[in-house]
Amino acid sequence: MIILDPKRAFRFPIEAKNISPDIFAKKSSKEIAALQMWEGNRKGALGDLFNIKNDSGSPSEEFTIKIEGDASKLRNIGARMSMGHIVVDGDAGMHLGEDMSGGTITVAGNAGSWAGSKMKGGTIEIKGNAGDYIGAPYRGSTKGMNGGKIIIHGNAGYEVGCFMRNGLIQILGDVGLFAGIHMSNGTIFVQGNSEGRAGAQMINGKIVICGHTPVMPTFTIDSIKPKVKVDGEKIEGPFYRFIGDLADNGNGKLFVSKTKNPHLSPYEKYLE
Amino acid sequence: MAVITGVTCPVCGTFCDDIELIIENNVIVEARNACAMGAAKFLNYSAHRTKKPLIRKNGELVEVSMDEAVEKAAKILVDANYPLMYGWSNTSCEAIRTGLELGEEVGAVMDNTSTVCHGPSILSVQDVGIPSATLGQLRHRADLIIYWASNPWSAHPRHAERYTMFSDGRFEGSTWKSYLSRLRGVMSRKKIQRASNLVLKQDFCFTPQVEEGLPSSVHQKRRRTIVIDVRKTRTADAADCFFQVEPGTDYELLQALRVLVNDGELDVDEVAGIPIETLEQLADLLVNCKLGIIFFGLGLTMSKGKHRNIDAAINLTRDLNKRTKFLIMPMRGHYNVTGVNIVFTWQTGYPFAVDLSNGYPRYNPGETSAVDILSRDEADATMVIASDPVAHFPRAASKNIAKHPLIAIDPEVTPTTMLADVIIPPAFVGIEAEGTAYRMDHVPLPLKKVVEPPETCLSDQEILQRILQKVRELRRDMN
Amino acid sequence: MTELIIKNGFVYDPLNRIDGEKMDISIRDGKIVESVKEKANGINASGMVVMPGGVDIHTHIAGGEVNSGRLLRPEDHVKDVEVKTALTRSGVGYSIPSTFTTGYRYSKMGYTTLMNPSMAPLEARHTHEELADIPMVDKAAYPLLGDWWFSLEHIRDGLIEENAAHIAWMLQATRGYAIKIVNPGGLEAWGFGRNVHSLDDVVPHFNITPREIIRGLCKVNRLLNLPHTIHVHTNNLGKPGNYVTAIETMKCVEDLAQGDKPVIHITHIQFCAFKGSDWSTLSSGAGEISKYVNNHNHVTLDMGQVIFSNTTTMTADGPFQYGLYNITGNKWVNHDVETETSGGIVPFKYKRSSAVHATQWSIGLEIALLIEDPWKILMTTDHPNGGPFTSYPKILAWLMSRAAREITLSKINKRARKKSLLPSIDRELSLYELAIVTRAGQAKALGLKPKGHLGVGADADVAIYNIDPQRLDISKEYKVARKAFKKAAFTIKDGEVVVKDGEIVKPVTGKTYWIDVSTSMPHEINDDIKKKFREYWTVEYENYPLPDSFIHSSFPIPVKAEV
Ligand code: SF4
Ligand SMILES: [Zn+2]
Repeated sequence: MIILDPKRAFRFPIEAKNISPDIFAKKSSKEIAALQMWEGNRKGALGDLFNIKNDSGSPSEEFTIKIEGDASKLRNIGARMSMGHIVVDGDAGMHLGEDMSGGTITVAGNAGSWAGSKMKGGTIEIKGNAGDYIGAPYRGSTKGMNGGKIIIHGNAGYEVGCFMRNGLIQILGDVGLFAGIHMSNGTIFVQGNSEGRAGAQMINGKIVICGHTPVMPTFTIDSIKPKVKVDGEKIEGPFYRFIGDLADNGNGKLFVSKTKNPHLSPYEKYLE
Repeated sequence: MAVITGVTCPVCGTFCDDIELIIENNVIVEARNACAMGAAKFLNYSAHRTKKPLIRKNGELVEVSMDEAVEKAAKILVDANYPLMYGWSNTSCEAIRTGLELGEEVGAVMDNTSTVCHGPSILSVQDVGIPSATLGQLRHRADLIIYWASNPWSAHPRHAERYTMFSDGRFEGSTWKSYLSRLRGVMSRKKIQRASNLVLKQDFCFTPQVEEGLPSSVHQKRRRTIVIDVRKTRTADAADCFFQVEPGTDYELLQALRVLVNDGELDVDEVAGIPIETLEQLADLLVNCKLGIIFFGLGLTMSKGKHRNIDAAINLTRDLNKRTKFLIMPMRGHYNVTGVNIVFTWQTGYPFAVDLSNGYPRYNPGETSAVDILSRDEADATMVIASDPVAHFPRAASKNIAKHPLIAIDPEVTPTTMLADVIIPPAFVGIEAEGTAYRMDHVPLPLKKVVEPPETCLSDQEILQRILQKVRELRRDMN
Repeated sequence: MTELIIKNGFVYDPLNRIDGEKMDISIRDGKIVESVKEKANGINASGMVVMPGGVDIHTHIAGGEVNSGRLLRPEDHVKDVEVKTALTRSGVGYSIPSTFTTGYRYSKMGYTTLMNPSMAPLEARHTHEELADIPMVDKAAYPLLGDWWFSLEHIRDGLIEENAAHIAWMLQATRGYAIKIVNPGGLEAWGFGRNVHSLDDVVPHFNITPREIIRGLCKVNRLLNLPHTIHVHTNNLGKPGNYVTAIETMKCVEDLAQGDKPVIHITHIQFCAFKGSDWSTLSSGAGEISKYVNNHNHVTLDMGQVIFSNTTTMTADGPFQYGLYNITGNKWVNHDVETETSGGIVPFKYKRSSAVHATQWSIGLEIALLIEDPWKILMTTDHPNGGPFTSYPKILAWLMSRAAREITLSKINKRARKKSLLPSIDRELSLYELAIVTRAGQAKALGLKPKGHLGVGADADVAIYNIDPQRLDISKEYKVARKAFKKAAFTIKDGEVVVKDGEIVKPVTGKTYWIDVSTSMPHEINDDIKKKFREYWTVEYENYPLPDSFIHSSFPIPVKAEV
């Protein structure tokens, strides 16, 4: 296990895409220390910013990088990683695990926006809250998250799963506006409430909201389901099952808890 | 006395270029054709201006030479680890070009005011594109004009007269006359209604006006104007009809309209506070025009949903093109905010929020945009040009600007300049200096120099050029 | 006085009929000269190919439409960036590079002159502002004049001479180089969402047909003595069966030709050489097109070759771009310009696995190889419509090597492969012919006298490539040649070495060419345009023409008109 211990508190954004098991593997501590890192507009080396400890655990253990302390200014931690583990002790900065295809990232604190952006595989687990655009594509692109799993124990911001194509995003807290906007496949599960516009402009895929949520007028009620399956697990309902977004000829499925959303009962007249 | 014609007005995005200025002894004494906003600028621009460079020494701003101010500014930029250079929408493209070169040299984040106005519109354009046109195309052809959450009557006073409802084109004419007679009708109706103590909420319908004896032109096929907004504006008064939207529900309304113009059905009885039947009529109107145009304003880009409101609005326009010709355009505010997006884009590939700190352009609004950077207190120096972020940014962001060295290139005294450590007052571009700027529809026009600037004032471009030179000298000395 | 001598290279200078001769090229003060002093700086080009600097007759590099394309595609830029160096500015690619990057990348391939083929006159100021920020190359732009209301009205009323004089005004006002015609009549119709579908369709509200527009402007072009012909993007572009329209378009000006001088340039011919009644029956019209061109001398073409890539299509052809949006559902920009033209942008991915795209790929090469006279068919991709200009070396490889074609053929859609005419074509272009299709022929078609050759008096724009024609069989070792064309060993611009080993060693700015036509009645024209100005446009007459001070390194080419 490689342990990165920040030498000081950071205040400028740090381009940290080199912090990845794929890049660290087979490198000596010295080589790791020499890896390029931009801090603001100054080009430096990883070793300028971190004390690097090589705590070689059992040889069988998968390659692990642990960042001790606050990493909230570090952008692109674990970008493009395909294997191994990254453990962040505190908060993690934006673009955590961007474009990753395998391995796991665990964050004890909060994660910034664009965590799991363009992700294709692997797992990101965030114990605290997450920012906006979780699993989203880059600006102008429609290639959102296409596999893997993101678990957020706290709340998440706007546009979670934007242009999502596959995979699973689980939010155990609340979610902001536009969860699953433009999504074409995959699953978003929200244990708490949604601020609204879930599934806006969705083409396909599944969104499950167990708490309270407004529903877009461009969704049509389809049925009431006693339970719904998420990632092989059955979630007890009952749920209203909506189809939309009609404005985009969508066939997305939006499951919304019946008990938590009495304001939606007028829709039941269409089911009789 | 000299008369200068064909002057462009360096105020709003309408960017009128037919202003006639009367000049006496290097002073503008009259501005013909300009609206009140434009005239105020031409006549009063130099009433409260700074003329000499200032530097803060021991907390006090003191007058210094241009060279000293330039050197100080250059030093601040060279020393900074993550400088932000912000503003740009009220200056010439020539200055912006030099500014970008300077920004690249010092590894700055370059952002412009669109970050707090139509930045969201740009984000959605990058997702779906935008079917649009120059304003003359609409003057000639548009028979359905929609001002959505925009109020040109006060923000773009000559927009309607030059390009839309009150302009004359080859295929469509001005509706000025019918507006006047309708105004008379509305006035008398208002009187009656006030008398009977009713609150007027004008519905979608031409008929009541017809009953009040409007000329038959209303029945003819002619230009019509619709206003959709959260409150009834002066523009709404001038329009043929007005739809009042519940605040924060434009997105739902737009998406619902998309279903309706595609002949779909909805499960709900009303959207955004408007009954479905009414919306169906509106959808018919949209589908059956020859050429429709939506002009949208900050009411759409800055309200709940932000860029997704524009996403939906552009998608509505895309849908409508399957049935007729339909276009859409943002009502850009500052006279050259369109230009700054254009210049940023051709030099860096991106229209705003461009981070040059790593030696090449990176773009991700939310991450590389001024407000966000300042709110996270990441910038350790700021240069502001022709803008006033301290007054307009969220409190946390403006507080952080003041914490670090601040350079202001601005002739006016503003909350930003009052906090600055270096102030370099330039000549007013478009009055005292020439250049190029872009109208809201991307039409480029010349900014003119009509009077001489004070001797101590250089143009923005020259100031930036000098700072750039100084930066390069300092860099050379360091190596 | 700066002098330079390029020694012992194998020189390919088709305009002077020099075919690989080993000789020295002398340069003084930016021009090719007979000889220079002994002690002049020398470049040892032995074992290398020496050609005139590359010329591109049709490449969308600047202006409103290109820049809207840039704005539209952050996801295109993010994967291809250029870092600032001590000499060069930073930038981004891929399909629509930022201005500086565009200049550097062309220069690195040995190109020195670029023609921006699509400039809305009302937005000419924009085009020229961007051209000023494209370093390393000389450049010019073609104003779009085929749907300009003045053109439509004059030609309808038979006022060819008046129109000629007005267009002379326009070339001066916009600092333009040639008359560009795009989907004649179709763009005006697109103002109300319509289009025209044949040369004899009547343009709504204007009572004129595309045929009349093309013929009228062809006559205008002749009256004005413009160095280039009319530059035409045909009606029905991108539609199955449109090869008929392309041939009719060429035919419709046959009788206007005098001698062997071309009177029409059909641009990106690949996009108008489709046979078949719909997409499923699409096949190549290359046979018919090349047969026609082989039998007629009044026409030049450029390829508009398709590259399998993710690119950005952009043309003034509003209805065509709308159609492309409808097919793909992709993001779509439309930009109609009052009184003049329209424009559209749609990102597009050419896939090898698509029968249509693969057929398009084949068509471009078929035409280039079936047309016997290389002076008639010039190499372009209609950048970025068929693919980015950075893929030119790939096209050269396909043209020089049957083997290179076969490799790609083996990877494309089966149906397209079966229909492709390429397996039946053995022709492989020589270095001499490649020099024609990439520089000499381009300059000749443009009538750009100081370019495209290395004769005494020519501009000293030279490209030197690391290819030894005595040792390298380019047909077999096309990969080596392709690499050499990608990174010029030297690029010399106006007598200065600006690129060495494919890297910029000296940033320079280039000239902007425009045609300064003198007519006998400029003042009357001014008055006439002035009169109609406020009626037609939303800007003032005095703010429309560009002042000369605005043009970066302005280089007018004086021409005397017959009106
Ligand atoms: S509308 Fe705008 S540009 Fe026109 S005169 Fe008024 S302020 Fe100036
Ligand atoms: Zn083209």
